[in-house]
Amino acid sequence: MSLRQIAFYGKGGIGKSTTSQNTLAALADLGQRILIVGCDPKADSTRLMLHAKAQDTILSLAAEAGSVEDLELEDVMKIGYKDIRCVESGGPEPGVGCAGRGVITSINFLEENGAYDNIDYVSYDVLGDVVCGGFAMPIRENKAQEIYIVMSGEMMAMYAANNISKGILKYANSGGVRLGGLICNERQTDKELELAESLAKKLGTQLIHFVPRDNIVQHAELRRMTVIEYAPDSRQADEYRTLAQKIHNNAGRGVIPTPISMDELEDLLMEHGIISAVDETQVGKTASQLV
Amino acid sequence: MSVSTPTTIQEVKDRNRALIQEVLTVYPEKTAKRRAKHLNVHEEGKSDCGVKSNIKSIPGVMTIRGCAYAGSKGVVWGPIKDMIHISHGPVGCGQYSWAARRNYYVGTTGIDTFGTMQFTSDFQEKDIVFGGDKKLAKLIDEIEVLFPLNKGISVQSECPIGLIGDDIEAVSKNKSKEYGGKTIVPVRCEGFRGVSQSLGHHIANDAIRDWVFDKSEGKELAFEPGPYDVAIIGDYNIGGDAWSSRILLEEMGLRVIAQWSGDGTIAELEATPKAKLNVLHCYRSMNYISRHMEEKYGIPWVEYNFFGPTKIEESLRKIASYFDEKIQAGAEAVIAKYRALTDAVIAKYKPRLQGKTVMLYVGGLRPRHVIGAYEDLGMNVVGTGYEFGHNDDYQRTAQHYVKDGTLIYDDVTGYEFEKFVETVKPDLVGSGIKEKYVFQKMGVPFRQMHSWDYSGPYHGYDGFAIFARDMDMAINSPVWKLPHAPWKADPEYVAIAAE
Amino acid sequence: MPQDAEHIKDHFELFRGEEYKDMIANKRANFENRHPEAEVERVREWAKTEEYKDLNFSREALVVNPAKACQPLGAVFVAVGFEGTIPFVHGSQGCVAYYRSHFSRHFKEPTSCVSSSMTEDAAVFGGLNNMIDGLANTYSMYKPKMIAVSTTCMAEVIGDDLNAFIKTAREKGSIPEDFDVPFAHTPAFVGSHITGYDNAMKGVLEYFWDGKAGTIEKTVRVPNAKINFLGGFDGYTVGNTREVKRIFDMMKVEYTILGDNSDVWDTPTDGEFRMYDGGTTLEEAGQAVHARATISMQEFCTEKTLPFIAAHGQETVALNHPIGVEATDRFVMEVARLAGVEIPDDLAKERGRLVDAIADSNAHIHGKKFAIYGDPDLCYGLAQFVMELGGEPVVVLSTNGNKAWAAKMQDLFDSSPFGAGCKAYPGKDLWHMRSLLFTEKPDFLIGNTYGKYLERDTGVPLIRVGFPIFDRHHKHRYPVWGYQGGLNVLVTILDRIFEHMDANTNVPSQTDYSYDIIR
Repeated sequence: MSLRQIAFYGKGGIGKSTTSQNTLAALADLGQRILIVGCDPKADSTRLMLHAKAQDTILSLAAEAGSVEDLELEDVMKIGYKDIRCVESGGPEPGVGCAGRGVITSINFLEENGAYDNIDYVSYDVLGDVVCGGFAMPIRENKAQEIYIVMSGEMMAMYAANNISKGILKYANSGGVRLGGLICNERQTDKELELAESLAKKLGTQLIHFVPRDNIVQHAELRRMTVIEYAPDSRQADEYRTLAQKIHNNAGRGVIPTPISMDELEDLLMEHGIISAVDETQVGKTASQLV
Repeated sequence: MSVSTPTTIQEVKDRNRALIQEVLTVYPEKTAKRRAKHLNVHEEGKSDCGVKSNIKSIPGVMTIRGCAYAGSKGVVWGPIKDMIHISHGPVGCGQYSWAARRNYYVGTTGIDTFGTMQFTSDFQEKDIVFGGDKKLAKLIDEIEVLFPLNKGISVQSECPIGLIGDDIEAVSKNKSKEYGGKTIVPVRCEGFRGVSQSLGHHIANDAIRDWVFDKSEGKELAFEPGPYDVAIIGDYNIGGDAWSSRILLEEMGLRVIAQWSGDGTIAELEATPKAKLNVLHCYRSMNYISRHMEEKYGIPWVEYNFFGPTKIEESLRKIASYFDEKIQAGAEAVIAKYRALTDAVIAKYKPRLQGKTVMLYVGGLRPRHVIGAYEDLGMNVVGTGYEFGHNDDYQRTAQHYVKDGTLIYDDVTGYEFEKFVETVKPDLVGSGIKEKYVFQKMGVPFRQMHSWDYSGPYHGYDGFAIFARDMDMAINSPVWKLPHAPWKADPEYVAIAAE
Repeated sequence: MPQDAEHIKDHFELFRGEEYKDMIANKRANFENRHPEAEVERVREWAKTEEYKDLNFSREALVVNPAKACQPLGAVFVAVGFEGTIPFVHGSQGCVAYYRSHFSRHFKEPTSCVSSSMTEDAAVFGGLNNMIDGLANTYSMYKPKMIAVSTTCMAEVIGDDLNAFIKTAREKGSIPEDFDVPFAHTPAFVGSHITGYDNAMKGVLEYFWDGKAGTIEKTVRVPNAKINFLGGFDGYTVGNTREVKRIFDMMKVEYTILGDNSDVWDTPTDGEFRMYDGGTTLEEAGQAVHARATISMQEFCTEKTLPFIAAHGQETVALNHPIGVEATDRFVMEVARLAGVEIPDDLAKERGRLVDAIADSNAHIHGKKFAIYGDPDLCYGLAQFVMELGGEPVVVLSTNGNKAWAAKMQDLFDSSPFGAGCKAYPGKDLWHMRSLLFTEKPDFLIGNTYGKYLERDTGVPLIRVGFPIFDRHHKHRYPVWGYQGGLNVLVTILDRIFEHMDANTNVPSQTDYSYDIIR
């Protein structure tokens, strides 16, 4: 089988790293050989695999050594649950430097040093939004084939999902990147499933899985483990296994997304009664003015 | 197009207009529309040259322009000799501009003078990703250890600095405090700012205002101010230009207290607000600071032109008019003193250069300022344009310099310039290093008018003699008889024979 | 010394006249607020000491007078070596003005190159539109056969994707569907101009060999008898490439020069400006995949390109800028082996002539101590040659040399008694070199034009070999490779040694002896 490259995108705080690591652990259980490339300066994309706080990142090690040319693959790659290979790109503290460039540097380093040899899956876990060219690196040609957007029924998460679709569209025509589907990580907002399905339809894709909320995820997380490892027999573990199987079967079925305008997005929320029609007379009024 | 040379002004204008139309046909429609606004034929009596200027260059056309960093580090700041100018960012910018402008100075290089050195933070990938502020702070410490006699530091930003959001102002302020109020000047001259070198000049001027003047207020002067104190503004001492200008100002009785910035020092910058008059040569690169000093310190400024005796005389008198009779008499004495020299130079060279035509394409002031010098030698400038001029430059050009029918090209592209020269067939082209060999290959004599082709000075009376010698050397070199192999048919000869 | 129309004085003489000397002295005394003369003298002397050297070598952030340039310069070097190719640098336009000037100052030739002229808005929104418009303009104005794209640091920081941008530009009709646009990302904050050479060369080969960026099928290699030749970033490319072609022709080797700049940087003055001249044809570039082997003259310029070629099934050989007898022997023998040809007697004769010249002259070089700096491979070639001549390298410094280079240099020093006590300095600059010249006291310095400041400050005579050479003309027309090239380098070294001898023995009634007419 040829190398599959996938990426998880989604608004910050949506549970992207948790969802991706659980899904990948389940894929590993299916016998897939996996490499995780964390593309977030917070470097939290591999902690559940390694039972660690955060592994040393490529960029911090490179800064110590002088440059990336001074690094060997072994220096940056850790082996976690079920031999999953883990690397974190890393990056600067908030407010300085250029994290996007860091992503480019790291991925180039990995490719040049043979990190992609003898594996079935590369998964990129990418920070919140495609804010600059650097964070689009995983969706360039010959990188991720499918993007999975982790979202929920909250307005900002849906807004982010739409934005990421725009990013994918930009590269979809020239490169080969496709939208694999939405993953709804349940927040228990009103009509969440219905809304997620509608958005998926608008974007021309599918809701690949609806992951229900379960406190066992937090229990596992406290122990720096995936649910797959912590409680393999739990119902939640089954959910992630289902998601993993769906992703595995989704090879080559990605689509070029059809992102919608801000107005259409608002209409969608209104349709489902999440927000009511905007009363133009109230726009820009403070609470006390409205009393 | 006919091979016969146009003789009347109307023929010249028609030829030039046709030529502009012809070059525009090479472009895609959108580009042709944009370029059309930068090309024109000058009409006598018009207040400007009728071209748009100071607009973004079009991608892919081979503009000759540089960037804001070149304008700040390369032009304005670089020549301040007792300061260390850090090219902050990757290694290239500082490397390519290292000692390339021949801003002459005297001093012990590497010890108390740093003009022909390349200081850089040599950014690596990690500096981009993690930010370069810590490196900058450490670098300043290292400068203080290894170059203890430096009188100040400037931080010349290259592209990445602004893109990654480094706070060079904060680093500069902290380090200045740490080193007892040392002058440390952050300059935001990233190459992607603005459309050419020009914004770099402006940013550099503003940095002097904010980080030199405002800090030095109240500092004691090393000398007693006098009634005849002037500062030379906008002369970069290329090949010694500022020196051959200064000597004339001093001979007429003025005291030059500062040179901006060729052979300049931080002490001279700081003393300038005490001048009685700022004399401004390169208007484009230093009008900003001159206007500021006028507003803030009430110092008048006057533009002058020290190329060729006609303009020098005019300028000396204009400068003198700001002072008393003693200086005015001094100016007349200087004019009289050098008349014998200029007469001899003209007598020697004019017969060899009379009627020769020139096309120019240069930077700040030279596309207009040197026209008088050519005319003093009997030559005609038939085409000119600015790399980074603004409309006020074209106004000055139209009102005081160019003749009716002159071809005007703003931010010319490689293609246009080549076609213009091919058709107009001037006897000399004056432009830069990137253009020099293109035209020489074509068999057209050429002089670099940025670097004086490693000669100079060209300013002042002493410089005019060198200018005349060099133009003669270029045009009348025996090499220009050689390009065509004698056994190959000479196309012009054939054309004439056929008539 | 007033100006005189009959004998016009320019800056060389003018400012030595009394009136100018007085004027400048007056300026210095009254307005410059200088440090006292004694203090300047004290620091000047201090900067020659071991103590200063130690401080100098403890620098971590500051770089002073580096001997390296940035990646895109190397990419432009590569691009102009292909037939009808214009380099297109995506990013700020000022960079391109710099590359063009830099090459023109060295080669005394025009260098055509365009920029996508990205400004502040492109920094925020990305440079896609600049690419679309830029390619369209360049294509219609300059009628190239190929546009080779590289990047400045601006485009790299914001993360522009060349592959996607060029595809989009194609779709929008900026260039025809089948027009060749190879590309390479060349961030200025990684490596140096030699890295840029490597990335750009690999970019071109990858484009032609691996399916033109996904537009056609990858080429299936059918090995033939040809040899590919890679010169690397080389200031002597005009003379060297011609010399190498001559040697190949003598040996009856079928070859392809990958990146042949020898014509475009040596066009005639005959009334016509040639924007493009010569170069590797695009056909040859594509066919080069079938070659039997590739030989690179500069290992550190081809660190990525050679493995790329090897991965396509060719044998690859990397040399280190071979200069002199033994290094050229290796080059010639490797070529003969790879191509399966005999080395002709004419070449053996040339070799003999170089040996003859060395035998005639080596007494003037034997035991002399040399400091050398430059690009990593050039340093290697020069150090090897100096040792072959009986000279002793004592300092070899390469700003763009890495640890692997230093180790390789050390092996070379260890291979000969003439290398004993020599040290390689990777990643150091010419201000480090200045300290070393004071403390190690070599007899001669070999380096590029910037070395003249070191010569002035330290008194160590400079032998100009390297890039750039701005202040001497036409050196790039003479090869330094091949036996003939070795002869040129030998003569360059000897000339400087003899000049230095004469300059030190020409004071009447003090050094009349030793001022010999026969040496």
